[in-house]
Amino acid sequence: MDVSQYLEIFIDESAEHLQTLSDCIMSLEGEPDNKDTINEVFRAAHSLKGMAGTMGFKRMQHLTHDMENVFQEVRSDKIAVDSAMIDLLFKCLDALDEYLENVKASSDEGTEDNELIIKELNDFIAKANGEAPADAPTEAPDAKEASAEATAEEGGSEKKYLSIELDGAEKDAIEEAKKSGNKVYGLTVFIQPECLLKAARAFLVFRAVEEFGEIIVYRPSSQDIEDEKFELDFSFYISSSEDLDKIIEAAKGVSEIADVIGGEITEEQLAEKVEAPAAEAPVSAPAPASAPKETKPAPAAKKEEKKVPAKKDAKPVTNRTVRVDIEKLDALMNQVSELIIAKNSLVSISSQDSGTAGNQGFHEQIEYLERITTNLHESVMKVRMVPIESVVNKFPRMIRDLSRTLDKKMELTMTGEDTELDRTVVDQIGDPLQHLLRNSADHGLETAEVRKQRGKSETGHIFLNAYQEGNNVIIQVGDDGNGIDTEAVKAKAIERGIITEEQAESMTQKEIVNLLFMPSFSMAKKITDISGRGVGLDVVKSGIEALGGDVETRTKLGEGTTFTVRLPLTLAIIQALMVEIRDEKYAIALGSISNIENIPVTDIKYVQAQEVIHLRGSVIPLIRLDKVLDIEPKEDPENLTVVIVKRGDSQAGLVVDNLIGQQEIVIKSLGKYINGNKLISGATILGDGEIAMILDTNTLI
Amino acid sequence: MADTSLELTELNTKQYIVVQIGSEKYGIDIGYIDNIVRMQKITRVPKAQSYFNGVINLRGEVVAVMSIRKKMGLEEDVFTDKSRIIILKLEDRGLIGIIVDAVNEVITLSDDQIEAPAAGPKKGKDSFINGIGKKGDTLVSLFEINAIVDEKEEK
Repeated sequence: MDVSQYLEIFIDESAEHLQTLSDCIMSLEGEPDNKDTINEVFRAAHSLKGMAGTMGFKRMQHLTHDMENVFQEVRSDKIAVDSAMIDLLFKCLDALDEYLENVKASSDEGTEDNELIIKELNDFIAKANGEAPADAPTEAPDAKEASAEATAEEGGSEKKYLSIELDGAEKDAIEEAKKSGNKVYGLTVFIQPECLLKAARAFLVFRAVEEFGEIIVYRPSSQDIEDEKFELDFSFYISSSEDLDKIIEAAKGVSEIADVIGGEITEEQLAEKVEAPAAEAPVSAPAPASAPKETKPAPAAKKEEKKVPAKKDAKPVTNRTVRVDIEKLDALMNQVSELIIAKNSLVSISSQDSGTAGNQGFHEQIEYLERITTNLHESVMKVRMVPIESVVNKFPRMIRDLSRTLDKKMELTMTGEDTELDRTVVDQIGDPLQHLLRNSADHGLETAEVRKQRGKSETGHIFLNAYQEGNNVIIQVGDDGNGIDTEAVKAKAIERGIITEEQAESMTQKEIVNLLFMPSFSMAKKITDISGRGVGLDVVKSGIEALGGDVETRTKLGEGTTFTVRLPLTLAIIQALMVEIRDEKYAIALGSISNIENIPVTDIKYVQAQEVIHLRGSVIPLIRLDKVLDIEPKEDPENLTVVIVKRGDSQAGLVVDNLIGQQEIVIKSLGKYINGNKLISGATILGDGEIAMILDTNTLI
Repeated sequence: MADTSLELTELNTKQYIVVQIGSEKYGIDIGYIDNIVRMQKITRVPKAQSYFNGVINLRGEVVAVMSIRKKMGLEEDVFTDKSRIIILKLEDRGLIGIIVDAVNEVITLSDDQIEAPAAGPKKGKDSFINGIGKKGDTLVSLFEINAIVDEKEEK
């Protein structure tokens, strides 16, 4: 079967299952007795195994199979979940992750067998069985993988022919055979697990036995057998005048047949079937579980054999979603951007036309078009939005691991995992957040002893809160640990020659904290695995800035640190205020504007030689955009138009000449040639084809 | 016609667009050229490298435009109705425009018509040249495109 077309689905779904496993195992650690969780784990492991099998990833299948066995034992209360087991299970997940990575990279699972993990898993099972040597896997000393599976899952259900349910026609056939003086035998044939052409073997078996009589009943049906829709065994009834042994011999004569068992179907057994076809259990006494399995070959088949085609439809996808390649969405977004540019030029044409009566309809249509494009844009944007869940839900596991390696007790609480962001942003926000969390775990939190001395709970708390605020998404990452020791940072910066002592004197708390975001500035006393390679916070900062966001740090010595990451909801199209300075047009993202003021020049005051305005109780520094942007200065008019922009808690007033109005703009990159320019975050094409620069006001504040 | 084109490929030739910058003629490998557009409004980009005039709107794309004169340390551009913006396309970095005084012609040069640039410690505009083409009496300096668009230290 060509499975390459399913590869992507496999990768996606496996990742989902692995995540479920990880989540569940985490929660199992907290409450090892939760049956629901155990079942969930079992299901996820099982699906994963099935999928790996279908795709022919044997090693992955093998590992998940053994994991599943462990869960099976857990489920039947033979083993209790303990931390050793959780550790082992996490190891399994890591190994599976690796397989999946290999599959992603090369469409192949790689060659790592992970025998050690498999052995450990089997040790667990062995231990369980040693303690409770109950029913299941005792026979099959030549336990090959598959036969072991068969015994483990199906118990001692060897005499499967006994549990065949008969329909009316078949019963009649049997009775007829009996009447004609023949004996009816039931046989179950087991095929060797490595057999490749099972259907062919079955056919040969049938041909061999048909020399002795007539086959009356097939299980699975003859059609299914032909289609290889069966596992490693099949059963049939044969009416014959010969001895059973001869028939069995003949069947065994076919190569690649592991075993054939059979027996005569007596009147009583038949009678029982006739009377109580539903009450299968007493007949197939050794394995009550096998009864339902027998009657449903398809779901049973799904379990092991990778060649069984029935498995393809084993997992019906019922949810009403479509997986779309992100590139297609990007293309769609680009088209919408183009449309908005085209619409903007129509708008500008229509506004130039001084509205004569005949143009009334034209204007109305333009407005209508405007509404549609705005809605369209919003819809496309929404399609691209995904919850940050997919990124953050790996963090609890990471913190747990960190807690072990760092030997600190810590706990992660997360809120707002369902907050949605543009897919591109979500894809890239993982690493920065991970850095911040590691930073909190490593540098932020104190050791348990220190915490005790300080009267804090021994377990350190790390939190990640996400929420939407206007056109931004805020993600706060923080801890209740030590906070940043600004004096130490200062000392370090001076030592490294980043700042001079005089500079250090005059630096504000905030400026000092910002030093941490400088490249190659690590506060770790020793280099650890977790952080402190000096690639931490500056990477965080540049990563987030690349997404058009920013980071703010709030810290209090002894009480903890909080990093606030602010990210734009979308990257491509924003609402902006167009302003004019002399003859140049600039766009300012509406999201960063708090208000617009008309300030008389006489109201400007000076603080430390800086122009400020006093507005409703707060002192706001004035920024002359013409100066910043190297535009020819001119005489101040009587009143200044000031756009007040905010960034977190800070504000600044930007002096502009004119306000043009609010507009939806498409952000275009300036390309790779023009650089070193943080002030301009991009450009946009206006309705008349002119280009306006987009100001990144964050760099001004 | 078919014969000549066959001959051309055998001789390992390249086509160049000859442009006028000041009094000199320069050749640009046609393989790099995406488009040639008339002078249009260039929007200044504040704080950009000094040799960038700004950006233009090229069919909905924002393309940076560079003054080759400034880059080579020549006198300021004077825009006339002959001035053109040559849009170059580089594999990994996308489009960039360079301003030239005029576009003259397209010439075909074979390897034996190209000489290595005069070696010497001369810096400045010569470091943007990777060869000199001879076509009849005219000499054409061939631009090393990568050197033109690469970042140059200012000062």
